[in-house]
Amino acid sequence: MIAVDNLSIRQGDFLLEGVSLELSDGEYGVLMGRSGCGKTTVLEAICGLRPIIGGRILLGGRDVSVLPPAERGIGYVPQDGALFPDMPVWEQLAFSMLIRKMPKSQVEARVRELAKDLGITHLLERLPVGLSGGERQRVALGRALAVKPRFLCMDEPLSALDEDILEEICELFTQTIKKENVTALHITHSKAEAARLGDTLFHLVGGQLQKVGPNEE
Amino acid sequence: MSGAEDNYRVSSDRPFLLVLAVLGGSYLFLIVAMVVADLIFLDYRDRPVFGPEIVEASRYPGDASGVKITLESSRRYYYQGGRNELGFRMGGNLIKKDGVFDAVEEEVLLVSETPEGAVTASFRPEVRVVDIQLHEGVATLRMDLPHGLLWGEFIRVRDSGSEFWDGVHEITDTTQDELSFVVGEQSKIVNALSLSRPNPLIQALRSRDIQFSIKLSLVSCTVTTLLSLWVAIPIGYLMSRFTFRGKAFVDTLLDIPVVLPPLVVGLSLLILFRYVPDWLSDAVVYKWPAVVLAQFMVACAFAVRTMRVTFDQIPHRYEQVALTLGCNRQQAFWRVVLPQARGGVLAAGTLAWARALGEFGPILVFAGATRQKTEVLPTSAFLELQAGRTEGMLAVSLIMIATAALVFVVARTFGMKRIFS
Repeated sequence: MIAVDNLSIRQGDFLLEGVSLELSDGEYGVLMGRSGCGKTTVLEAICGLRPIIGGRILLGGRDVSVLPPAERGIGYVPQDGALFPDMPVWEQLAFSMLIRKMPKSQVEARVRELAKDLGITHLLERLPVGLSGGERQRVALGRALAVKPRFLCMDEPLSALDEDILEEICELFTQTIKKENVTALHITHSKAEAARLGDTLFHLVGGQLQKVGPNEE
Repeated sequence: MSGAEDNYRVSSDRPFLLVLAVLGGSYLFLIVAMVVADLIFLDYRDRPVFGPEIVEASRYPGDASGVKITLESSRRYYYQGGRNELGFRMGGNLIKKDGVFDAVEEEVLLVSETPEGAVTASFRPEVRVVDIQLHEGVATLRMDLPHGLLWGEFIRVRDSGSEFWDGVHEITDTTQDELSFVVGEQSKIVNALSLSRPNPLIQALRSRDIQFSIKLSLVSCTVTTLLSLWVAIPIGYLMSRFTFRGKAFVDTLLDIPVVLPPLVVGLSLLILFRYVPDWLSDAVVYKWPAVVLAQFMVACAFAVRTMRVTFDQIPHRYEQVALTLGCNRQQAFWRVVLPQARGGVLAAGTLAWARALGEFGPILVFAGATRQKTEVLPTSAFLELQAGRTEGMLAVSLIMIATAALVFVVARTFGMKRIFS
């Protein structure tokens, strides 16, 4: 469960107050809003990358408001993928497991499993430079999911993709996320994307978060 | 169809591009010309050893007859015209050019430009070896004229039976018309025919003082570079990633060594070391650590600037991702940020190294200019100039140019391409 309770965040002169949001386990939430309305700020606060000045963040019932990002057990897929420029794909996937000093056999098995699920086995030895937009986002998703976090935050992961591969990647994302059984929060400004992906829709307008309700197609 | 666009014309881009090319080109030309001038100015040939001046101080007569100079025919002389001379007349020719010539007559005539002016030209005879004695590996040459060479200078000798010079020898002892040097085991000198001085580059490279200064320069610059990076990477990272009270003030402080005259840096260090314990002051001031410290104070400021810019150009996003993947800040720094800053580290290191190599003022004040002790390459150049040996100074400069070029080539091969291309 991801629960945000009466959150206040300040970013420069911009103040976001009284933001509340709740996602039950396994739910795929989509947060919508115009560019510059503070979607990313909310997401970063949940991941622990931005200090909050009021309210609480609960992940699976645990108050993580002041925990460092590493201890929140949350995967993060930033807008442009932000793949580490000088690591081959397999090392990006293995990164979080190597940090935790997991046994080598386990790391290898997990990397292979993720690569297969995401269809990037043939890219494992490559560096990020030269990967296509879709390939980058698959690697970024795999990297975020490697240690099997229970929560996943995605910041416009699909907005830079070409229209013709969007369908395929959307399908892949939803499948993988369901398979990994994570509670996901996805932000986007595209209504089409929101309609295609989410179980629950939220709308951030004028600093106020509104639940639009379950997504009914 | 025919609207306002038909009559609208944009003036050509050519003048603008031409101005850019001229401005940029003139600077490039100066850079290349400067280095090339150094390279071609230096006379790489051996030069003969010349004896004392033979022109006596006098004045030109009021008529156009000139001044007679008595020479020894079949000896070589070095002629240098002064400000009153047109040249000298020998065998019916008027010779105007400075340089070495073979005397074919017993008498030459100096021709003046202004009658009744002072005689300012100079003739110096080539010194000849008249005797050689070999005694326990030491050769002692006797010359027919005072040679003017000093202890520690280098000469070449050529055997009368040989076409080739017999190595370079360091003079170990001199009197007015004698000089001695140690002969190596392979040397086959039996009777030396002629003597010459090798070019300034060889003189410089063979000099023990300059060999020491090359070594000290290489070692001190490398130590300075490592120290600078050791400090510049943390400062650059802190200044790029964190905001704190008084940051603008710290930023200004970091620039002080860049804007301060280098000489003042040396003086300030010297004064600072009056306030430290004696043992520390004794270990540093006027010793080699002072060289490193003086270089470090200036070079590090440049390294800090470079690292700051490098870290500024790496988006925070990578660290943020690394943090969510389980890193703490230290792990994120080592595993994600620093590998990306590799190019910047190399650039900062090279810059610091080059700055350190050229540092002179603060070293002179804080470490002194003691031969074999605190002498670095710029100091050598300065000492050569002080001794009136412009060519020696030039030789040292060429050594510095070569060293700097070598370091840049090495740094580039190790991955500077990312910065320069």
